[in-house]
Amino acid sequence: MAILGTALNAVGLLFLTHAVYSTHEHTATFAHTPLPLDITIELLTSILILSAGIVITSPELRPIKWAQWAGKMQRQGRKGEGKWTREGEEILSEGDSFAFLGLDSGIGGGGEGRRGFWDVRAKRKEYAEWVKAGGK
Amino acid sequence: MNEERELAIHPIVQSSVQHNTQVVSNIRNLTASLFGVAAGTLGLESYPGFIFYLVGTLIVSALIFAARTEGKPGVYFYRPFGDLWGGEVFGGLSGFVLTWTLFYGLVRA
Repeated sequence: MAILGTALNAVGLLFLTHAVYSTHEHTATFAHTPLPLDITIELLTSILILSAGIVITSPELRPIKWAQWAGKMQRQGRKGEGKWTREGEEILSEGDSFAFLGLDSGIGGGGEGRRGFWDVRAKRKEYAEWVKAGGK
Repeated sequence: MNEERELAIHPIVQSSVQHNTQVVSNIRNLTASLFGVAAGTLGLESYPGFIFYLVGTLIVSALIFAARTEGKPGVYFYRPFGDLWGGEVFGGLSGFVLTWTLFYGLVRA
């Protein structure tokens, strides 16, 4: 399906470029005369092919009803390039948009960065082990 | 009240709604500038240009309806009429006018 869409886009772009170029040549040669029918047809066909290609290459839609969506998840598994919450919902936002600043571990790596999520259970386990080890 | 009860029985996945809106908006923006190229090259002026755009968006909606929703828009859109057939029609209008005037000036004038 992706190959078909790309092929449609390529063919459509080729026709569109040719049609626009032909129109330019036509108006440069015979100004103020109506456009020949073949150029018009080529232009409209290329537009149609291109929009079909754009629609086909667009990502698949997702069902919005919870039951259908969950059923689809069950059947196909959590495919997709994005991140997912533990409940299986996809995270659409980009996340931390200032990650490039490298402040996650604090300025200079001092461990003072902001934390979005703090894993309480892991920390509790760590603490219990520390107590078990004698608090050293 | 009825709608509220309906939503309680059949909850809606917000991230899917967001994704679908984004996909439709992307398609609209891309095709709108394409229709602008065609309208400018054809040398359309005034109302015929806007009618051309509306007809084009209708064709694109039909393409989405046929190729992306498999004829069941109710599965993918909460309000199929507003979100699929009328969704983002005016959002793409500025892109349309941009390429329309550009190609009219380049090719026709």
